[in-house]
Amino acid sequence: MTLRKRLSGWLADAALILYFVFALFPIAWMVILSLKPTNQLFSTYFSFSPTLDGYRTVLGDSEGIPFVRFFVNSLVVSLGAVALSLLVGLPAAYASARWRFKGSENLMFTLLSFRFAPELTVIIPLFVLYQKLGLFDTYVGMVWVLQLVTLPLIVWIMRSYFADLTPELEQAALLDGYSRKQAFFKVAIPLVKPGIAAVSLLAFIFAWNNFVFPLILTSNEAQTVTVGALSFLGGDRPKYNLTAAAALVSVVPPLLLALTIQRYLVRGLSFGAVKS
Amino acid sequence: MSTAIALRGIRKTYGKNTALDGLELDVAEGEFFCLLGPSGAGKTTTLKTVAGLEQPDAGTVELDGKDMRGVEPYDRGVAMCFESYALYPHKSAYDNLASPLRSPRHRLPAAQARERIGEIAELLGISALLDRPVGRLSNGQRQRVALGRVLVRPARAFLLDEPLSHLDAKLRQQMRAELKAIGAVQRTTTLYVTHDSVEALALGDRIGVIRDGRLVQTGTREEIWYRPSDTEVARAFGRPRINLLPGVVTQDGGFRSADGTIELPVGAQAAPGTDVLIGLRPRDITLHGPGHELTGTVYVTEVLGRSVEVTVRLGEQQVSLVAPRSDTTGLRPDDPVRLSVRPENLLLFEADRPERPGRRIETR
Repeated sequence: MTLRKRLSGWLADAALILYFVFALFPIAWMVILSLKPTNQLFSTYFSFSPTLDGYRTVLGDSEGIPFVRFFVNSLVVSLGAVALSLLVGLPAAYASARWRFKGSENLMFTLLSFRFAPELTVIIPLFVLYQKLGLFDTYVGMVWVLQLVTLPLIVWIMRSYFADLTPELEQAALLDGYSRKQAFFKVAIPLVKPGIAAVSLLAFIFAWNNFVFPLILTSNEAQTVTVGALSFLGGDRPKYNLTAAAALVSVVPPLLLALTIQRYLVRGLSFGAVKS
Repeated sequence: MSTAIALRGIRKTYGKNTALDGLELDVAEGEFFCLLGPSGAGKTTTLKTVAGLEQPDAGTVELDGKDMRGVEPYDRGVAMCFESYALYPHKSAYDNLASPLRSPRHRLPAAQARERIGEIAELLGISALLDRPVGRLSNGQRQRVALGRVLVRPARAFLLDEPLSHLDAKLRQQMRAELKAIGAVQRTTTLYVTHDSVEALALGDRIGVIRDGRLVQTGTREEIWYRPSDTEVARAFGRPRINLLPGVVTQDGGFRSADGTIELPVGAQAAPGTDVLIGLRPRDITLHGPGHELTGTVYVTEVLGRSVEVTVRLGEQQVSLVAPRSDTTGLRPDDPVRLSVRPENLLLFEADRPERPGRRIETR
């Protein structure tokens, strides 16, 4: 009995380790790839003389690909998209959680439909529009189009947070002599801060990882890391080591953000989901 | 006295549920008005309608004679204590109390506010708790903070929703006694909601009994006690509950119980043969006093302290009465007893019907 128990324990451990290897191997492979010198790229798997040249090249702008600028672009458009979505989305989420007004449900559903409609279905008309409006390859254009990604996310998640708050708290504020706007900012907003932190991070990651919009709607000035990292594959020989280094560098901001607000994150993600 | 709060024909429905069904209510300037009713009767909805937090489907709310339609809650000048406390969970008890005094409409300079909060905290016995976040207070303490947030500021009217319900028994009794002595409460019109009849009788200058979204009876505690409008109002006040015995009106306007064992001359203003209930309050029945006499046997006795609740079998009926302990020494089950009721303490009601409780019948 105990032997069988111990055996099944080992088996479970083995399965876990196997899965662990499977899940982490691609990341390990990327790290290995990024440390390879260019001349050993195709000759070996694991035995090579590691070098940081790949990173130097990527960050040093030497291949004629301004990766640092892409990186800054990514930061600007992702943060800009999240900020704009919070500005517009928080009041929208609050209003839809508190009041049923004519067409409110349709409006919310339309917003949600932006999430499940494939981006490719709208990309060509958007490309034409952006060309005509002069938004092509601009920060404004990118921040704007990323609202399709970040806004529905923020509105829908924050809506459930606001719905979980009892309206009596804001009612108490109204009777204390505060206006509705003050009740929103002084009572409702502070109480959903963990939610704001969690959803901002999620939205940031979604915006950061977006590929199709920058691929079609930017060329150079406003291009982001997701598209920019691929530039190293062009030319006569694909430089996998540079792509890997670029990809790893572009993981850093979301990772750092996630680590800093980790505390809010777990609580935030579970808090809004469960209705008490 | 002028009318401070007036509700005229208020109707409010939530989906298929009717919360208020043509509610009429007048509260005079400076009055302490208790609204008593079971849960779901529409008490909280009434308060929220007065506060402007709920919009009635029909009817008007008037404060000091002015129609409040379209007037926002913060412009109505009323303060409300929520049954759920509705304290700001991210703030300390002090900041909760300070909230009205920092608002644009009731702002006080910080020093004055601190003084005012100190007074109120002293009054409610929460001075030592002011620095704590409200999450670390007990329910009773939260309730007092919530009450303090109401009392701390001047208001046209106080709306209090079960403000003592979560206190422990001793504190509740103490607060009940003190609440009306608070200066702010004495000066300010107060609409007080409770499901506790003792609280209503103790506090209310007038009492309104609410049921199914309507006021069934309004009056002073004497009116409610001695002239309840129907059997349910009679049952709502007094512990032990009023004895209600079924019977009919006799030819000469008397009462005869259904099993024929009790006959009482009551002078009923109803046709002979009418099905009725006679109401006897347990504390109005004596063992050796003057009045009509009834004979029965002791069923059970229960000592309540200085007095004793005796349940007596009268034919097929049981009545309970409360007598001083000295009158009941030596009483054992199945002992014969003689009960007395003074005629002026008899209440007569129509028999209860499925659609409504029996109304009181006038007696001579």
